[in-house]
Amino acid sequence: MMSFALKSLRHRKAAFAGAFLALFCAAALVCACGMLLETGLRGKVATERWAGTPLVVAGDQFVRETVDKGDGETKEKAKPLADRRWIPAALVARLERVPGVDKVIAEVTFPFRGAVGHGWESAALTPFTIARGQAPSGPKEIVVDARSALAPGERLGAYTVVGVTAQALPSQDTVFFDTAEARRLAGHEGKVSAIGVFPAVRLPAMKDALAYTGDERGPVEFLNAEQARVKLVSLGGALGGTSLLVAILVVVGTFALSIQQRQRELALLRAVAATPKQVRTLIGGEALMVSAVAGALGALAGVGLGFWLRAQFVRLGAMPDNLHLVVSPFPIAAALLATVAAAWAAARLSARRTARIRPVEALGEAARPTARLPWIRIALGLVMLAGAVTLTAVLSGLSVEAASSPVTMLTALTWVFALSVLGPLVARAAVAVLDVPLRLGRTSGYLAARSLRANTRRLASVVVPMALMIAMTCTILFVQTTMQNAAQAQAEAGTKAPTEILRTSVRVGLEKYSAQAAQRPTLDLGVVAGGLDPAKLAVSATAAERLRVRPGDEVTMTLGDGTPVTLTVSAVYSRGLAFGDLHLPYPLLKQHVEQQIGAQPANAEVNYVAMGLIIAFTMIAMVNTLAMSTSERSRELALLRLVGTTRRQVLRMLKIETLAAVLIAAVAGTAIALITLSAFSLGMTGSAVPSIAPVTYACVIAAAAVLALAATVVPARLVLRRRPSDAVASRE
Amino acid sequence: MTDVVRLENVSKVYGRGQSAVAALREVTVSIPRGSFTAVMGPSGSGKSTFLHCAAGLDVPSSGSVRLGGTELSGMGEKELTELRRQRVGFVFQMFNLVSSLNVMENVTLPLRLAGVKEDRAWVAEILKRVGLEGRAKHRPSELSGGQQQRVAIARALATRPEVVFGDEPTGALDTMTARDVLRLLREVVSTMGQTVVMVTHDPVAASYADIVLFLADGRIVDTMAAPTADKVAARMTHLGAWV
Repeated sequence: MMSFALKSLRHRKAAFAGAFLALFCAAALVCACGMLLETGLRGKVATERWAGTPLVVAGDQFVRETVDKGDGETKEKAKPLADRRWIPAALVARLERVPGVDKVIAEVTFPFRGAVGHGWESAALTPFTIARGQAPSGPKEIVVDARSALAPGERLGAYTVVGVTAQALPSQDTVFFDTAEARRLAGHEGKVSAIGVFPAVRLPAMKDALAYTGDERGPVEFLNAEQARVKLVSLGGALGGTSLLVAILVVVGTFALSIQQRQRELALLRAVAATPKQVRTLIGGEALMVSAVAGALGALAGVGLGFWLRAQFVRLGAMPDNLHLVVSPFPIAAALLATVAAAWAAARLSARRTARIRPVEALGEAARPTARLPWIRIALGLVMLAGAVTLTAVLSGLSVEAASSPVTMLTALTWVFALSVLGPLVARAAVAVLDVPLRLGRTSGYLAARSLRANTRRLASVVVPMALMIAMTCTILFVQTTMQNAAQAQAEAGTKAPTEILRTSVRVGLEKYSAQAAQRPTLDLGVVAGGLDPAKLAVSATAAERLRVRPGDEVTMTLGDGTPVTLTVSAVYSRGLAFGDLHLPYPLLKQHVEQQIGAQPANAEVNYVAMGLIIAFTMIAMVNTLAMSTSERSRELALLRLVGTTRRQVLRMLKIETLAAVLIAAVAGTAIALITLSAFSLGMTGSAVPSIAPVTYACVIAAAAVLALAATVVPARLVLRRRPSDAVASRE
Repeated sequence: MTDVVRLENVSKVYGRGQSAVAALREVTVSIPRGSFTAVMGPSGSGKSTFLHCAAGLDVPSSGSVRLGGTELSGMGEKELTELRRQRVGFVFQMFNLVSSLNVMENVTLPLRLAGVKEDRAWVAEILKRVGLEGRAKHRPSELSGGQQQRVAIARALATRPEVVFGDEPTGALDTMTARDVLRLLREVVSTMGQTVVMVTHDPVAASYADIVLFLADGRIVDTMAAPTADKVAARMTHLGAWV
């Protein structure tokens, strides 16, 4: 059976091209996401500044909590802090007394004019040595690194360059100050950012500080790399999961279409004496072969895609340049396996009907596909619908973006799944409506109406990928605008006069909350309960609900740098999207927020890049399906030509059919996006009306229409180029 | 016993209740071994249903079908398929061949599906008899319509079936080519002792058979031995549906 499958593949290259392309893209996407995920899980950042230090003592960058798993077992959970946890300078003296320790060096770190500032005391951690000039010896003297264009004697702000080092670090510019001046600039009185210990020895346990050696040092030096790494896990997971679901949808659709096209051949096999099992084996075998080749090539292309994604993330600041992509066989193998499994399942699913059918029925059905859907498919569609409704209800209750974002995608996808299962029913209903205006047309419109009515299953198979593309694109784009517009509206309404705002995140227990503090009380947070007290805590209505607190209650939290504080709630406010979950006293937050080194990543853009890939995949799927569907109609089109339809009329008929499909898909896709976005908006902003940019929306629909027409006309022209008599005489 | 196929009180009803249509009504007939039988009738008379039921392609609503002494009623689709590929050969009107396979592969397809090792000498013999020696490596698309039907006949013979069924095997061919194919079928019966049952609406095609069964409204209304084209045509006209 396998050699027969191979022959069949070789002979029907064109028919399998569609499935091949879909599988190729799926493998590439899954592999790229797998690489991000693996980098998130196992990615390493090498230490630069502490390269010459065997053991580094620094703050524990995690909030740890022991969670009772319920069955008597406990598990320690750890969540990363937003900022650096500084450690007491007094530790230096204690470490010096540890037996076996030769030398202990303290280090402070702070941002200085785009570079990283330290005291000259810590130069030996790398080690940095002076190439020209001398070490700083007064509060106004500095030493710059080898990459700097400055020479001794030149000035940098209020400071004079007195020396240049022989070294420079790959991903950071370094400036050394006099030790006392560095401590003053760094703030954090009585604390240091890290302590280097020579040589590495076993250290006694310390409170809130840990000993880091080897590969452990890098993540502590580059906290943003560590945060990016954690973000990659969730991004890679969400993106990979979404693309896998989209891939299953697309691959099942493509296989169903290609099997529908070969129904006559399969029926012949049944009549000539292939058992249902043999037909299923044949179809499964073909799927295995196509998916193995497409999956392998796609996974390799996915490695390239992974590097491209990384480059984009680095450009957008979502990933530091020194966090390198982990390249291993795992994502490639995972992508290959996922592709093969999806294809095999899709083929078996599509073959079920063909293989179980009696040969006589099959011979009859090949010419005229039955319109009735099997009850099991209707039942599955209803289950899908129920799932979509449930997810929509869940989504409308989610008010935290981290939970809401993935559920939004899943909700939209579940609706599309339901649509794909019940597609022929939807198509038939839509055709009944469209029939009336179409029949007004004389030739092409009449033919198109007839053709749509006669083959609602084919219509459904092209509508589903189009609706998928429209629904996914609208959801992805307008989730961002809904959030941005709601936050912007709140910010505009709530800002009476400009003031400096500090932003960070804190943890209550293990849960993360965004926190802000305003320098001057010029913000109108929209207080709904209690009265705002600048020395106390204010919480947004959403956070108040999550924390179950009211004015007067106390909240204990861990600030970004690991400092625990307990504050009393003075007020609950409504403008949480613009002003964060928690509003803290400014002096408190000022003391515990690290001035961020480097720019904040543009979150929306990162999402656009990642989700743009999924949109591109759905576009390819849409074009692919239409092209497959048009080129298999060569006989029918030739027949129309033979009975006197002009080439122009045939093309016009096809265009009308495609536009009808675009219209149905636009209605279905928009409806799905609207339902999903409303639920998302209701949960996140409290209003069920999402913000939709009309121009962007029009562009999405126009793009779908243009792509669909191109995917119809180009193959149709190729088909019509053959002499009609030849096309009719040949077997399909 | 010398009957290869025996139908007893076979009825086939499509649909249910009010919309039920009886395609066959209590048909009883025997097809003797080594005979060439043509089944004729106006369209809608139940010719195709008769063929499908006799060949185990479809299951009758009631009655018994025996193929080479085996009772078909109560058999599952898998058993029916296995029985068909051992004992029955088929030639259809069109779309007989798998386009991705060449002539030799198409002919041996039933053997391959059955997992039986092909008898090379026998296959070569068949190809020679149907006049396709030297074309074993050709693809169906490289052959004429008549040649494609010859391949289909060769395939039907490959498993040494008890009976070969033809569903309008010459329906899509021109007169000259059709005559060649009919001669080949006749020869298969006369020289190889093969049993052939063929549904047709063409009196000329029917005249190649030993016996003609006339179907009308789901019943066998007449049989004719030693038919000629004229006699068959006259009988059909009498049946009132000659077009």
